[in-house]
Amino acid sequence: MLFIAPCILMLLVFVYVPLVQNFVFSFESFSAFSQERAFIGLQNYKTLFGDKVVGTAIRNNIYYAVISVIFQVFGGLILASALEDNAFRRISPLFRTTFFLPVLVSMTVICLLFSFIYHPQIGLLNNFLEHIGLEALTRQWLGSSKTAIFAVIAMSQWQSIGYIMMLFIVAIQKIPEDLYEAADIDGANKIQRFLNITFPQVQEMFFVTMIVTVIGAFTVFNEPYILAKGGGPGTSSMTLAVHMYQSAFVRDRMGYASTVAVLIFLITAALSVIQTVAFGGDNTESKKDKKRKGAANRG
Amino acid sequence: MAKTRNYSRSHFGIGEGIWLIVLLCGFVLIAYPMFWTVMSSFKSYREIYDSVWSLPSVWHYENYITAWQKGIAGYFKNSFIVTVSTVAGVLTFASLCAFGLSRYQFKGNTFFLFLCMGGMMLSPQVCLIPLYKLLQAFHIHNTYWAMILPYIAFRLPMSVLLIRTFFLSIPKELEESARLDGCSAFGVYWRIFLPMSKPILLTCTVLVSYYAWNEFLFSIIFIDSDSLKTIPSGLMNFRDALQTDWGVLLAGMVVAALPIIIMFIFMQKYFIRGMAAGSVKG
Amino acid sequence: MTKFRKFGALLLAAALLTGTAACSGGSGSSSAPAADNNNTAATTPDAGTPAPDAAAPAASGDKKVVTFFHRWPNEPKNPIFTAYVNDFMAANSDIEIQMDCVLNDSYKEKVRVLVSGNSVPDVFSSWSGSFAENLVSSGNVLALDDMLAADTAFKDSFIESQVGPFTFDGKVYGLPMSMDGKAFFYNKDIFSANNLSVPKTLDELYAAMDTLKAAGFETPLIEGLADAWAVSHYEGTIISRLLDPAVMAKDTNKSTGEFTDPAYIEALNIFKKLTEYMGDAASGLDHETARNMFVAGEVPLIYCQLAEIRIINGETSLDTGASLGFEYDFFNFPSIAGGKGDQTGLTGAPEGFMLSNKAQNPDEAQKFFKYILSVESGERMTKEAGEISAIKGAVNENSASPEINRAVDMILSATSSVPWYDNAVEASIGDAFMRGGQSLAIGDMTAEEVMADVQNVAAEVRAANPQ
Repeated sequence: MLFIAPCILMLLVFVYVPLVQNFVFSFESFSAFSQERAFIGLQNYKTLFGDKVVGTAIRNNIYYAVISVIFQVFGGLILASALEDNAFRRISPLFRTTFFLPVLVSMTVICLLFSFIYHPQIGLLNNFLEHIGLEALTRQWLGSSKTAIFAVIAMSQWQSIGYIMMLFIVAIQKIPEDLYEAADIDGANKIQRFLNITFPQVQEMFFVTMIVTVIGAFTVFNEPYILAKGGGPGTSSMTLAVHMYQSAFVRDRMGYASTVAVLIFLITAALSVIQTVAFGGDNTESKKDKKRKGAANRG
Repeated sequence: MAKTRNYSRSHFGIGEGIWLIVLLCGFVLIAYPMFWTVMSSFKSYREIYDSVWSLPSVWHYENYITAWQKGIAGYFKNSFIVTVSTVAGVLTFASLCAFGLSRYQFKGNTFFLFLCMGGMMLSPQVCLIPLYKLLQAFHIHNTYWAMILPYIAFRLPMSVLLIRTFFLSIPKELEESARLDGCSAFGVYWRIFLPMSKPILLTCTVLVSYYAWNEFLFSIIFIDSDSLKTIPSGLMNFRDALQTDWGVLLAGMVVAALPIIIMFIFMQKYFIRGMAAGSVKG
Repeated sequence: MTKFRKFGALLLAAALLTGTAACSGGSGSSSAPAADNNNTAATTPDAGTPAPDAAAPAASGDKKVVTFFHRWPNEPKNPIFTAYVNDFMAANSDIEIQMDCVLNDSYKEKVRVLVSGNSVPDVFSSWSGSFAENLVSSGNVLALDDMLAADTAFKDSFIESQVGPFTFDGKVYGLPMSMDGKAFFYNKDIFSANNLSVPKTLDELYAAMDTLKAAGFETPLIEGLADAWAVSHYEGTIISRLLDPAVMAKDTNKSTGEFTDPAYIEALNIFKKLTEYMGDAASGLDHETARNMFVAGEVPLIYCQLAEIRIINGETSLDTGASLGFEYDFFNFPSIAGGKGDQTGLTGAPEGFMLSNKAQNPDEAQKFFKYILSVESGERMTKEAGEISAIKGAVNENSASPEINRAVDMILSATSSVPWYDNAVEASIGDAFMRGGQSLAIGDMTAEEVMADVQNVAAEVRAANPQ
């Protein structure tokens, strides 16, 4: 009991008490710096439903989720299976490491780098487009409300695809060899092998990465905050987390910001519950391994 | 990672050729911007604006010295202190907790496990505002503690689960014989479990360092003083002037990224194992 | 601070407590690492933290401590302040200055909290006007009249008009370090090549820009609209020209601001029209890039701070490579026909320092205060940071370029000084204006929609600040 006490204490004080408090706060109105808080009932929730920015934010979060699933999860899987193909055995370690490198770099650094890439005057992207004769495609990537959020999303794909790819590589390496050998005897080609063996075998990882990616997409903060200077231009690249931040620390509506946090909580909690229900709760490696091995044996 | 597959169809055909081109394109797309960052960090302000693509005509190594002197040194120190403290805290609390959870059956055991898992799934943003208030109430807002304590709390769940899984695989007999030798519960933990769990502790160290070194949201909100900022939030100050010294900023960016990349190169195995097991971003 | 220690002790105790359960042989060594971890963590925050949160700074040794809080963690001012502190401490070995700094926006919040709470920094920087008035209303800011009466030489060293924005109810609560103004900088060569003279009215400005457009300058005017503050500088100036000062006073008051005057919509439409001269690029640019375009001679006109003269002249340590290939000058924002505000007011208010009336070592705090506001310090600030010092004689031919000397004349001849708009209004209203301005410029919102949003926010602000 004594062993787990410090840990539980930390969790309670810094995770669970704040979580509960956040619900309380969402019914109140208060400023960041005063001790007084006023109970205002459902007022914040009414504001939430009438808030146009929340609509923009949810739309952007959905864009984020959909595009990330397509590029990171599907892209990551394809990338992983390509790199695990015997034909690329020689170059695969180099590629793997390179694709993974951006994952290691802090988002601030990545955002500063991309503010260069998207820069309308000296930016690498517009510059490159001009070089290859595609001037027509040059844009104010971050300056237009139509492209800003997509420019931000594109950066996220650039950063995170290596992470998902690495997860799939780990999963693919755990697929028993004999499955492929059996397929070879049957004369399956690479696409058939991918569809009939690789994909079914990494299905669980596929689902996990999908949930992780979608949760990530609904809590994204750093990217639009830094790269698009707080969800700009105007509020066009706002996400829920940035909106929460702005409400709390720029507009000093702490109560309302808590209400936005409740919304984020509900969305992510629902996704987590799906994940938990689907995988029986214990998200640790050994159990998943067992499951995977079990599945492999059956297959 | 080194394991390679040995099935028969490994000949190189048109399909493989197309794939190679696709992979190469991806490679350039990802590698070039990073190469560009390093290259441009040696350029002067003027060259960054005037000749974006070329190599530096004069290598301005002093950009790194300037960046270091203009504040990166302080941010680096802060990041280091916060990261080391967070790792120490997480390892201590998580291994103790994992030990308790894996060795003792008591009422509420599953409940605590559940508590840990719930903590893993919760996004830190949801707790942001109450935490802000809490830190103010503790009077530790704008101190290192304001980062260290929440970081520890939010990294504990995953670490507990990882370490617990490992502890469960340690044979009961080892513990029993140690008990017979007169070791207390803590002795078993300290002399048997910890030494045996180096791999998983390293995995946790790597994952927690990665998180603490790169964390941004808490560090911009809980810290105001420039003298306490960590690298990710401190770099933002570099940009906010009326005139940004881009060469120096880029040098700062490289310095910010290096420690984790170096750690990755040396501890790749632990890194990837942890990430696969945790499957949690950031 | 005490609560924090208690908490640290609690954690430490928790760690030690578990240590006692160890087996006899290993107990001594085994509990040590855990405790060590906590110890290192526990001591470091104290050592490196001049946290202004700390209620009372512990006197280090026999030295008298003065806490100093400002908003310049960046080049070029931060090194100058560091040098001030070091020089001052070298000359006064019995005084220790604990300096802390926080960047702009967080400084705004932070200093408000500290000053209205119980941990007022002894010496701190402040904007003038309504921002300063807010701080003064806490009752924790020292009125400087006695000090000034006792030292008339010090009193007379400041440019009188710049002390006014720090004076409330007849008492002086702060003294200016620097003054600033926002003006249109124009490329004299291009203007004379096109036979253009300095525009006196907004219509003349439009006409001049049309001429430039016809002469091949696709974007006769440029701004980095991605920087929200740049948007607010435009909005603030135009609003000050158009709005009845009485309405302005009512609206900048948190308890009464309604923002229903039709002049606001007119002001936003003028801003919108000006952004149309900037072309599509402006929305994605930052102010620095926009200014570089002006310096490179690509764009003939830009709205800049006078404090940027030094950068435009290329007098900073950075080799921007862009030596000015032309002559430039600047003029105040032109008058707007039918406007009810001061048509020759200059946007840009002085910034300065204040003293706490709760200081533990008030004499030492005053000594440091006078030191950083001395003529020598002002001269240094002008010379090394391009700051336009508000101390008489600090800006001279020796310390500053002819342009900066001209800027001083411009500031001194302005009929009124208009505060930066993002400081004049409540933060959330300012945010609504800035984001709205961006959306307006890119055509996402109309002026009416922006004002509707501002009015909603203002209603919330009124509700939160009853009279």
